[in-house]
Amino acid sequence: MKIENTKAQLRKGALELVVLSIIQQEEEAYPTDIINSLKKAKLIVVEGTLYPLLSRLKNGALLKYTWRESQGGPPRKYYSLTEDGEAFLTELHSSWRDLVDAVDTTTKSLSLS
Amino acid sequence: MNKVIQANLGGIAFTFDDEAYERLDDYLASLDGYFNHSHGHNEIMHDIEARLAELFSANLKGRSIVTTEDVSAAVATMGSPEDFGIEADDLEEETFEQRSFGHQSRNRKGGKQRYSRYGKRLMRDPDDTKLGGVCSGLAAYFGIEDPLVIRIAFVVAVVFGGFGVLPYIILWAVMPVAHTAGDKLAMRGEAIDVRTISKQVEEEFSNISSKLQEWGDEVSKTDWSSKFGGGGKRRNQKRNNQEPHDEGYMV
Repeated sequence: MKIENTKAQLRKGALELVVLSIIQQEEEAYPTDIINSLKKAKLIVVEGTLYPLLSRLKNGALLKYTWRESQGGPPRKYYSLTEDGEAFLTELHSSWRDLVDAVDTTTKSLSLS
Repeated sequence: MNKVIQANLGGIAFTFDDEAYERLDDYLASLDGYFNHSHGHNEIMHDIEARLAELFSANLKGRSIVTTEDVSAAVATMGSPEDFGIEADDLEEETFEQRSFGHQSRNRKGGKQRYSRYGKRLMRDPDDTKLGGVCSGLAAYFGIEDPLVIRIAFVVAVVFGGFGVLPYIILWAVMPVAHTAGDKLAMRGEAIDVRTISKQVEEEFSNISSKLQEWGDEVSKTDWSSKFGGGGKRRNQKRNNQEPHDEGYMV
């Protein structure tokens, strides 16, 4: 039983919520911007794990994207939330709050060094 | 002087040095194998290529050729399939059981047939045979390192009442021979990807070269020098003289 695995599971569980939140706050987000936010928050270690997640959220109709021209490079994909995505995020966020409260309550009296 | 290769990565033209190109090509192939079964496989690969292109552009800063260091740095940022591990997004909500058991498994969501990358198959091992390769195949299947254990078990079964003969013949008839590198990996239950296949192929080459070596030793025992009058020695001397010139290429 490795603690790193459990930690990774925790991060992974929160990732969908976090990615959707970042996109919502930015309104339109370019994957590299999402990666930079995630790296700052230490939520991902390698970038390769983000692309399948974005693809899955897009295929689940929670995200959509538009192509935009970039300066001196090929066009870039900008992701934004669909209506379903907005609803999903609201629901997910309230579940997250509940979960945090529940975990806080049950671990409050832990005496840790 | 080194060869360079021009390639289009994510819509940008790059010039790679030969080795850097090979590395990147291997890396992309390993990712391609990893995402092969996921929905949006092409899209994921496309996005990753675009991101790699961005990383290279940012890293080059006016240099014109992508080197192996650039590729290594980009690969470290992006991560290899081995790094994804537990952080990996569950591509198809595939359960562990489905991955581990059975070569062909049914996909719950799509219902379509697909090959599990981690299935193990019972096959005869043509590289390690005493009779038909049945025992070594069984040993590989059950993860026993030395097929001798199984061979002894069969011999004991034959000696005590001849019970082992029929099962051996049946298994011989039923088990297919692992011909290709992919078969041999499946036989041992190793994941079939670029890394393991290239390892397997390398092993086979070293097998061949050790056989050639044996053959060469046998040949060298024959006294050729009397026939060719020491010509080989002269050739060697000539090659030695040339060597300093070979080292003098431009870097």
